[in-house]
Amino acid sequence: MANQHLEQFIEVAKRVGAEVLQLEDLEAAAKYISSVASGTTLVPETPLAVKHNLRSLLAAEDVEVFSGNFREAGHVPAGGVTFCNFCMADSGTVVLESTDESIRLATTLPETHFVIVDPEKILEDNLAAVTPMTQMHTGSDPKFVAYITGPSRTADIERVLTIGCHGPRELHILLVNNVSSDLMEN
Amino acid sequence: MKTNTNYKESVEQAIANPKLSKALHLFGDAYLIARENAYRGLDFEQMRTELSDIKEEVRLNRKELLAEFIKNAEAAGSKVFLAKNTKEANDYVIKLAKSKDAKLIAKSKSMVSEEAHFNKAVQAHGIRAAETDLGEWIIQLAGQRPSHMVMPAIHMFKEEVAELFSKEAGKTLTPEIKTLVDHARTRLRQEYFDADIGLTGANFLVANTGGIGLVTNEGNARLCATLPKVHVVFASIHKLVRNIEDAIKITRLLPRNATGQLLTSYVTWIKGCVPCDGEQKEQHIVLIDGGREALYESKACRDALKCIQCGACANVCPVYQTVGGHVFGSIYISAIGVILTAFYEGLDKAKDITRACIGCRSCVAVCPSKIDLEEIILHLRNEVTKEYGMGVIKNVAFKAVMKNRGLFHSMVRAASKLQRPVTHKNRKEGEPRIIRHLPLHFLDRDFTEWRDLPSIAPKSFRDQFDTIPQTLFNPDYKVGFFVGCGADFVYPEVGVSLIKVLNSLNVEVVFPKGQNCCGIPALYSGDTETGLDLAKQSVEAFTEAEVDYVLSICPTCTMAVKRDFVDRLADHPQWAAKARELSAKTMDASAFLENVLGASQKLASTTTDQSVTYHDSCHLKRGSNVYKEPRALLKSTGITVKEMKNSDRCCGFGGTYSFLSHPQISKQITADKVSAIEATGVKTVAMDCPGCMIMLKGAVGKANESIRCVHTIELLAEAIDNNKK
Ligand code: SF4
Ligand code: SF4
Repeated sequence: MANQHLEQFIEVAKRVGAEVLQLEDLEAAAKYISSVASGTTLVPETPLAVKHNLRSLLAAEDVEVFSGNFREAGHVPAGGVTFCNFCMADSGTVVLESTDESIRLATTLPETHFVIVDPEKILEDNLAAVTPMTQMHTGSDPKFVAYITGPSRTADIERVLTIGCHGPRELHILLVNNVSSDLMEN
Repeated sequence: MKTNTNYKESVEQAIANPKLSKALHLFGDAYLIARENAYRGLDFEQMRTELSDIKEEVRLNRKELLAEFIKNAEAAGSKVFLAKNTKEANDYVIKLAKSKDAKLIAKSKSMVSEEAHFNKAVQAHGIRAAETDLGEWIIQLAGQRPSHMVMPAIHMFKEEVAELFSKEAGKTLTPEIKTLVDHARTRLRQEYFDADIGLTGANFLVANTGGIGLVTNEGNARLCATLPKVHVVFASIHKLVRNIEDAIKITRLLPRNATGQLLTSYVTWIKGCVPCDGEQKEQHIVLIDGGREALYESKACRDALKCIQCGACANVCPVYQTVGGHVFGSIYISAIGVILTAFYEGLDKAKDITRACIGCRSCVAVCPSKIDLEEIILHLRNEVTKEYGMGVIKNVAFKAVMKNRGLFHSMVRAASKLQRPVTHKNRKEGEPRIIRHLPLHFLDRDFTEWRDLPSIAPKSFRDQFDTIPQTLFNPDYKVGFFVGCGADFVYPEVGVSLIKVLNSLNVEVVFPKGQNCCGIPALYSGDTETGLDLAKQSVEAFTEAEVDYVLSICPTCTMAVKRDFVDRLADHPQWAAKARELSAKTMDASAFLENVLGASQKLASTTTDQSVTYHDSCHLKRGSNVYKEPRALLKSTGITVKEMKNSDRCCGFGGTYSFLSHPQISKQITADKVSAIEATGVKTVAMDCPGCMIMLKGAVGKANESIRCVHTIELLAEAIDNNKK
């Protein structure tokens, strides 16, 4: 069943400056990423990345997947590819549990962040996110959760909106079915 | 721009530099549109009431919540330090840095670090603090302080930024915004990698998780919290919230209200010592009181701690738009800045800016935490007056004269004979004369240069009332008329018109002679004692009159009777109940006509074929929520209402504000209003406030004599006259 918030999510995410594409499968996503990113690409080995062999899929499309400590991939790598935990349709936001440092580096340092989203994971709004957010924060384990809405931006000079201040200049949201519907994994 | 050594000078300098004011006006206009779009489909009033309640809970349970936060943060590995003041906070970080032999701290935005003068403090110990927020970096390079809470460098232009960046980089950068942002991106990226410590603020301290929340757009806070081995959170204690749900609710308001965004690019939730380069990060949370506990204890001002620092109160403030945040503020700016300055830096530091607020309540209307900023500022102004006095002129005027009704009114009568009015060229029949030369020679010399001043009417309303015949058989209502000084002494014809309109709708008007000035001029100048006395006189008079309703044609008087009389007399047992009773039956004439009498139905069929633009008086729209009513009434008489831009922006009057304390700022605000009126091309501007009439008749008269300023009630009376013909 199509997610009832999909359409709104696409529209709002585009409005805040993200590229949004609906793709057939992960191979198609890998092809797309390869066509956009040229250079070092950070691909964290998260449970979903491992499960779906993301690194191999990307490497097969000649994406320069960086192996090693991401801190040594240069100050501004070309790309970062991640999955996400869930999304919020009303603000066009993707949410990533990023306690694993490699996820944080892959989503903050690169020029372009590609995030693969299963439409099943789109929630209506941030109020609907209260439950999974609270669930993520139970217990006393350290935690880092990032809401990402469009690319990095600033309006600090003459109030003119300018894209790409300190975070990624581009955010590409790749919608692919049957990746995962579990809001707790990415 | 230098820091304010001399307040008056800084006001003059700001006014002499219209470039900034122009930019702030453009920003203010764009902001209102973006904000409106962002709230589309949502109920702002409901949302802000909820936020205000959330913050109230935090205040009541702050001790427990703080303990809960600390317990949970420590369980996740954080070290928490409670700092009584900003000095203790700085010292803690300095000691920490020294123990790590740290030389560089990469900072993302933290307002409390501005309060602490953190950068200077660490620099004294050989530690460099690198601001990474673009705006903060710009002002750090310029050696200034922020002039806006969300956009710290809003007062600077790209040419100035290019100059600063070029100097720092040792090469010439072109003043193109994209180039400048790119330069900052590359240049500052190095700092995150080099820094030994990353310092961030916190928008939320989530008690039941022990985590923090950061709301940002640029992405620098995420880098500061990720790359360096040590993360310091520099946050003030009032950022506590109970749980994630409350924090999320705040994120629904904060970006919408700050920049008109649905959500900022990043909202980051960090709890405890997350992994860092193969190890665990070291996280220190410095929780700073710095005067907050004292503010929580102040019953009159504590609501200021509900602030979520969206900056909206600045964006809409006509004073801020005129002089900017370096003049109207200190570390914190505009409405909230006035209050926080008084508490965090001392009343002395806030003395001038408490008087700089014109009282238009625009800030109150947009505040997402529902803080009555204007009322708190008023309270502080009283404190300032207690502490520093009010100035000789006001002292004589309020204390010696106004309190004594007989003396006050006979002095006004005498003054009306003494002045020598010069007739206004295009004066309409019956319109009062306007003086070009001021009899009150003790005032500033440039006083009448940009506006005419009204003359005192030859015969006040109170002296005319008995001569006005009212022949009603079995009236539907008996209403008491609270005339107010403006209509009594300057525009008595508005009162006469009101009687005509009400009589035509079968309502009888009585005028209790014991009433006196509503007391707002004294109160707004910080003289509570006179205010109290005046309230008693009018409560007495109207209680004795036994009327169904009490009507005013001045929204400031209405607000005084409805709100301030009740407050002023709350602790006086023999008065409190009477004041509440009076409050309950008092309203503006337009509101009564429309909401009680349904007058727009009854007036219909009159045929006034004219176009009018309508100016919303601050206290009518934001004090009484009346703005539909006068428009409906005007339209019912066949008048076309052509809206002006920002019809609810202040006219610049503010009572003694425009005469005594800040005539220069007033002048600028009025100029905006006059051009908005002129731009409609309409020749009549209607309003529901004698104060606005004084200001606009005077200023419009100088700028464009063909435009007529008139009270709504007068237009209604004319329509009724037309009908009879
Ligand atoms: S009441 Fe008006 S002038 Fe005073 S601070 Fe608020 S917006 Fe500014
Ligand atoms: S006082 Fe209200 S409007 Fe002003 S910054 Fe704080 S929350 Fe925003």
